[in-house]
Amino acid sequence: MIVTRAQKVGLSFYAGVVLLLFYFPLFCIITASLSKKRYFSFPYAWEDVTLKWYEDAIASPQVQEYVGISLKVAVLSTICSLFIGFFGALAYARYSWRWRKSFQKLVLLPLFFPQSVLGLALLMWFNFLDITPSWWTAVIAHTVWIAPIATLIMSIQAYSQDDSLEEAARDMGASRWQILRWITFPLLAPGMVSAACFCVLLSWGNFALSLFTTGADSALPEWLYARMTSGYQPIVPAVGSLSVFAAIALVCLVFGISARRSAHKVAQEGGH
Amino acid sequence: MSDLVNSEQSGATQRPATSILEVAGVSKRFGKFTAVNNVSFEIKDGEFFTLVGPSGSGKTTMLRMLVGMDTPTEGDIMLRNQRVNDLPPNQRPTCMVFQSLALFPHMTVGHNVEFPLMVRGQSESDRRTRAWELLKLLHLDPNRYYNKNVMQCSGGERQRVALARALAYDPEILFFDEPLSAIDARLRKVLQKELKDIQRDTKKTFCYVTHSLEEAMVMSDRVAILRGGVIEQIGTPSDIYASPKNAFVAEFMGEVNLLDVIGLGGYEAEWVMGYTKHRVRLPVVLGPGESRKLLIRPESLRFVTPGVVTDNIFPAQVLNEFLLGSRKQYHVEVEEGHPLTVERLREEGVSGPTVQLGWDVADSQLLES
Amino acid sequence: MNEPRRNWNWLAGSQFFGTISALPFILLMLFGFVVPLLCVAWFGLMPAKSFSLLHAPSLQNYAFIFSQTYVKSMAWSTGLALATVVILLVLCYPLAFGLAKVFKGGATFVTYAIASSLFVSENIRLFGWVIGLMKKGVVTGTLGTFGIEMNSLLYNVPVIVLGMVYVYLPFMLFPLALGIKMVPDQVREAAFDLGASRWHVFRHVDLPLSMPGILIGSVLVFVLSIGAIAEAKILGGQSIVTIAADIETEFTYGQNWPLGSALSTLLVGVTMVLVFAVLNRIDMEKFLGRAPRES
Repeated sequence: MIVTRAQKVGLSFYAGVVLLLFYFPLFCIITASLSKKRYFSFPYAWEDVTLKWYEDAIASPQVQEYVGISLKVAVLSTICSLFIGFFGALAYARYSWRWRKSFQKLVLLPLFFPQSVLGLALLMWFNFLDITPSWWTAVIAHTVWIAPIATLIMSIQAYSQDDSLEEAARDMGASRWQILRWITFPLLAPGMVSAACFCVLLSWGNFALSLFTTGADSALPEWLYARMTSGYQPIVPAVGSLSVFAAIALVCLVFGISARRSAHKVAQEGGH
Repeated sequence: MSDLVNSEQSGATQRPATSILEVAGVSKRFGKFTAVNNVSFEIKDGEFFTLVGPSGSGKTTMLRMLVGMDTPTEGDIMLRNQRVNDLPPNQRPTCMVFQSLALFPHMTVGHNVEFPLMVRGQSESDRRTRAWELLKLLHLDPNRYYNKNVMQCSGGERQRVALARALAYDPEILFFDEPLSAIDARLRKVLQKELKDIQRDTKKTFCYVTHSLEEAMVMSDRVAILRGGVIEQIGTPSDIYASPKNAFVAEFMGEVNLLDVIGLGGYEAEWVMGYTKHRVRLPVVLGPGESRKLLIRPESLRFVTPGVVTDNIFPAQVLNEFLLGSRKQYHVEVEEGHPLTVERLREEGVSGPTVQLGWDVADSQLLES
Repeated sequence: MNEPRRNWNWLAGSQFFGTISALPFILLMLFGFVVPLLCVAWFGLMPAKSFSLLHAPSLQNYAFIFSQTYVKSMAWSTGLALATVVILLVLCYPLAFGLAKVFKGGATFVTYAIASSLFVSENIRLFGWVIGLMKKGVVTGTLGTFGIEMNSLLYNVPVIVLGMVYVYLPFMLFPLALGIKMVPDQVREAAFDLGASRWHVFRHVDLPLSMPGILIGSVLVFVLSIGAIAEAKILGGQSIVTIAADIETEFTYGQNWPLGSALSTLLVGVTMVLVFAVLNRIDMEKFLGRAPRES
């Protein structure tokens, strides 16, 4: 094509450098989590490699509690987001209705918004309603931010599927509900799996919203933040690393599923 | 072919037979797949040359190499005796009209046409004058179209804008990648004629790529037929029509009847249809046991009235008839499962479901399969 | 594309279903986004240090803001955000171009690799840089073994910018890549074919046609980084104070909610003007992959 070989190599090299730099901090965290010393210094000797901090982290009731809260918030806000997002995507991409264009802008709004301010606004709103912030107010906050993302992901999928399928079903006498049940939902369902993983992970890693809306409860990123800003503690990189590993595992799972699905698709298309 | 003979044949249009582009033994491989296999041909200055082939024949790959968007794996492309294999498209004096037309969607018609002049650094007034001329040449009223958004133009108008833009580049050779394929049949006919007129008026060399031999026959001075990355035949449309080199070319030209025949020695052969065989007479000698295709055009097949003697006569069943304007087309069967196409004048008609089908030996051609 | 995309009767009737489907989302936004923000705006008009919304509104908080150093922190935040946007544009354009046009199978890998980082809390990733750049950290320690002794590289403005560039890279990269993907290959090839140089193609074809992606990426990064809180705190120490940090202080140590609200309102005002200006110019449907339909 228009791109020469040299450019291709150059760009690939550039991408490699960016990726390396991108993963450098994670490498640092894992390195630090394996160091035995109370005060980290690099480089350290082989004898100083230890898994002690991981044991501490896993055994710590505090960490367990925060992981529990983070998980609860992530799962609940994901379920809410998927429900709202599925119907949101229908309104966004499938039905042509009067306010669709405005609705599409509304969906984007929370994404183009400073999260810390959103967290604060919700905090004040809960305060006004006399609701004491706790982990479940964080669920609401996370949903406000994640539901638009879920809507967008599913809308993109709705766009990529052929809408003549629905027209054909309609043509054969299916009611709108039957179309939704037998055509639209099954076609969007695979997309919902990846949207769900995305939502869980985004909630899991979110800090700015949790900071303001969890009240007396505390999500994992918050707890880490509090420890980070109050001097070095070796348990922090250990917990950070564990969180990284969990994310990697989930990403690999999603990647595996989608790779298998696309391989399946290729095999099918190659068949005829 | 000498200059003299050539200019006599083409009559009013003078064609110097110097070759402008020479393709010598060009191959293109993508991994194990060979898209173009050792192809050689030349394009002469000022001619309308067409590469035609079904999808997958390698014609698009060939074209991409000719304009410089791909490089050949083997062989040379010589433009005016200079090797241009590795010259990028923006440094070649050639230009292509894309299948999608590739108009710049964010520019007006005028700016699209002016684009090649702008990148060359021409002054604004010069550009405008030239764009104005070209729009007029292509029957687009510049007053109306110059400031029009290209996305608001109709299909035919876009075709003309794309052609104007390519002409503004003033290329040595203008390439076309099936630009008319997405246009409806009626407008396509008009645009084909226009394209031919513009080629004659501007005296530019056009190299057109299409999958439709019909389109190629209408417009071209010479046609090259590609299959599986290889050129099957190259020649003027009338040459190709009169003597297709093989069964593929014959079939590609449209609806023809190709009979499987096996020689019996001399002018005799067996026409094989499944398990049954019929004896037919051939226009040329065929050795015993040799397998060929016998080409009979639908208009050469006749319904024979009793008493008339022809070389080959067979009883046949009429399956269907279709009216094609002044002509009628019939599907008939001599043997079940082996239909033949017959085209006759509308007035002729058939007497009943069973007819006598025949043809003159002189109207048939023996082809390699 | 001004008309509804299909004129079928049954779709004209999808008014009802469209509204019903959008309803859960609209309710969520109303009570989880719009009303809370109105609440903030109203709180900004309350007298200082009050915790009730029932006082008489006044503009005294805003007068106070402009008489204090908050203008400075607003300037810092804006400056940092602008710097982040510019650096990311330059940094990401080649990569986005690679993702959209050059890498084939590799593009998926790079996309997943970058997107995955979103799932690790940003403060963990920033903390990684702290471990890298602190005294005897991974970078400084490695340099130390080569005899280059270094103190901590942390707690200054360039490091804050590094942190922001790092954290918000995906938010620039992906919109850019989507934008560049919108440039049809044949249109680029046609430009080359008509004699355009690489620069001409970039200037007259790539840039204008990928503008939606550039705008969306830039606004997204600007908005996120102007409200950023963690970078300046974790990497910057006390070297500068951003507007988001000011806001947080007012809500926590300061216990001055009306002042914090007024500051938030200002911040939101600035960003929303920008966001609306940009979103109004872009056809999001086209951007998200709906093929443009011929009329």
